[in-house]
Amino acid sequence: MSSDTQTQHDVQEILRLGQQRMARVMPDTDWQSATRKRGTAGVATMARPDRKQEAWRYTPLGFLDQAEFQPIVEGPFDALQLSDIDDLMLTDPPRIRLVFVNGYLASGLCAMAKSADGVTLSSLAGGLGEVPAMLRQQLDAIAEHNHVFAALNSALMSDGALIHLAAGVHLDGPIEILHVSVGLEQPGICHPRHLIVLEDGARAEVIERYCGLGDGAYFTNALIEVSLGSDSELLHQRMQEESPHAQHLSDLQVHLGARSLYRLTLAALGGAWSRNDVRVTFGGEGATAELDGLMLARDRQFNDVHLDVRHEVPHCTSRETFKGILDGSGRVVFDGHIVVARDAQKTDAVLSNRNLMLARSAEVDTKPQLEIYADDVKCSHGTTVGELDPDMLFYLRSRGIPADQAKQMLCQGFAQEVFDTMASQALRARAGQLLASRLLTSTPEQGER
Amino acid sequence: MMLSIKNLKAQVEGKEIIKGLDLQVGPGEVHAIMGPNGSGKSTLAHILAGRDGYDVTDGEILFEGRSLIGLAPEERASRGIFLAFQYPVELPGVNNTHFLKEALNAQRKARGEPELDSVAFLKLIREKLAMVSMSPELLKRPVNAGFSGGEKKRNEILQMALLEPRLAILDETDSGLDIDALKTVSDGVNALRSPDRSVILVTHYQRLLDYIQPDFVHVLAGGRIVRSGDKGLAKELEAKGYGWLSGQDEAA
Repeated sequence: MSSDTQTQHDVQEILRLGQQRMARVMPDTDWQSATRKRGTAGVATMARPDRKQEAWRYTPLGFLDQAEFQPIVEGPFDALQLSDIDDLMLTDPPRIRLVFVNGYLASGLCAMAKSADGVTLSSLAGGLGEVPAMLRQQLDAIAEHNHVFAALNSALMSDGALIHLAAGVHLDGPIEILHVSVGLEQPGICHPRHLIVLEDGARAEVIERYCGLGDGAYFTNALIEVSLGSDSELLHQRMQEESPHAQHLSDLQVHLGARSLYRLTLAALGGAWSRNDVRVTFGGEGATAELDGLMLARDRQFNDVHLDVRHEVPHCTSRETFKGILDGSGRVVFDGHIVVARDAQKTDAVLSNRNLMLARSAEVDTKPQLEIYADDVKCSHGTTVGELDPDMLFYLRSRGIPADQAKQMLCQGFAQEVFDTMASQALRARAGQLLASRLLTSTPEQGER
Repeated sequence: MMLSIKNLKAQVEGKEIIKGLDLQVGPGEVHAIMGPNGSGKSTLAHILAGRDGYDVTDGEILFEGRSLIGLAPEERASRGIFLAFQYPVELPGVNNTHFLKEALNAQRKARGEPELDSVAFLKLIREKLAMVSMSPELLKRPVNAGFSGGEKKRNEILQMALLEPRLAILDETDSGLDIDALKTVSDGVNALRSPDRSVILVTHYQRLLDYIQPDFVHVLAGGRIVRSGDKGLAKELEAKGYGWLSGQDEAA
């Protein structure tokens, strides 16, 4: 089999084409060159993941062989107007909205409230003015290249939000990072790169969304770095609502200072193929990470979440609560890895993964792993895979609710527990509506079985 | 007749539980069905509500002159049958208000009546809440999730008050209730008594019948009604236990 060489070639090709185009179009950004070099070196040395690697064992990458992804550097998307993305807007406008189209900032679509003292917003490609030194220094400070796609992002990072809150600054209202992808003639690949830095005692809410406009084919390869200072607090709400033909890979890397609080809600609802890697590193004592997520895999959808939570210091708490809803031939992969280092005494970690199977043809691969080297810790994990509870269904039907509607209400309820962890009511509502509409459109497929 | 059951035989998982049962319930009547544990009382209640896995093998069940056999639970509900559960089911993530509104509107739709909008619904549900002395806070929570035993039963009676069934079947509604909750729940049921609404009370104990006075009392044992009478029969059962009916002493 020559698939290894061939596929490695694919990733190299993405890099080569990307670099070619970038040389022509990107502004001079010396301060990024170290990151890009590191990324290029990473791509050169790392093989494309395959099933022999534990972390990629259940993640099919065949789509890379089928499409020749073109780098997106310029395109017709400059012409997008606010009215074009009306349907994507949250009902309750955020304080600040940064819109990226096919990976690039679209200034005309952004909503910039008068910025508060101590809040710095910038963008990687300079669309919001020169990038301040403190943000330049923080870029790539914590990113690890755990796989070739992360390295590819560093090498080719297109644009992205750079957010900095000075010590003690509390920003009311969310900052929304809205990605809009428009299908192009040739499937494109873009590499958004975001950075969120909260200094000591700062507090913020960030909404990060990836949306497809229409049903185009494209590949989003994002990397997000989050660095939280001591006693800071970040509410991070992420929603993946990509087009049904899109591939989406997000690598989220979070570093927590002492006594900081990081709350993540991930709703991965769209895309043909989706993988979310979340790495959380505890760098100071007394910090808490609450990670909640919902993965939807309808017919032919693949949805993968990999957690890597590293308890490296004592007295930290983490909660990982992830749920999957599967229908048709949908597939979910959940890999929840928690490491408690020898010194990380008094760690408190609870990992759970519950999956709701609406069809027997769906498949879930779930792997909770606790790797514990300390001896005084409280850690547990639980996994369930089940169908809708017949008692619950009968209860609803006995009240006059038809069977199909009852099923849908129970699925919504199952997901709602995750959505309810979102601070933004508008996002919660959107997640609920999106899920409802997707579950509804899958009903005919269900009926055939 | 509101409900007419003739020679009903039914199985659960291949085992015959109801073995030739006859029961006639007229409009506006309250019937209590009593009996020892395992006599088939709850099975009968679930058969009437249309639960899967309860197979009717013989006999007929006519509700307002039409057969219920083969109808889906939701169709029975829309025709006016309501089962108050012995163990109301918790529905995590399903908001109680949303559930109540969907239930009412599904029934109205099935009957060809206009659905209620949110404003009209909230006005209606507030009236009903007062009837069962239930905290409005419970409307904002997921259905029955984390409710106390009493709150769950009140929520059942709230649903009954809202859906206004023609035939209400209360399955061991008194179980697990303290006197105050029992009184509130009974008041709710009594308030709903009307000449065109019938009630079947399934209960093990006579206690509930102090609060909701039945017109008829039946004793179910071994899958059949073995004795019928007025509320005096309940008193007799209270004094003697169930053993004397089948000629044995009640062991417990």
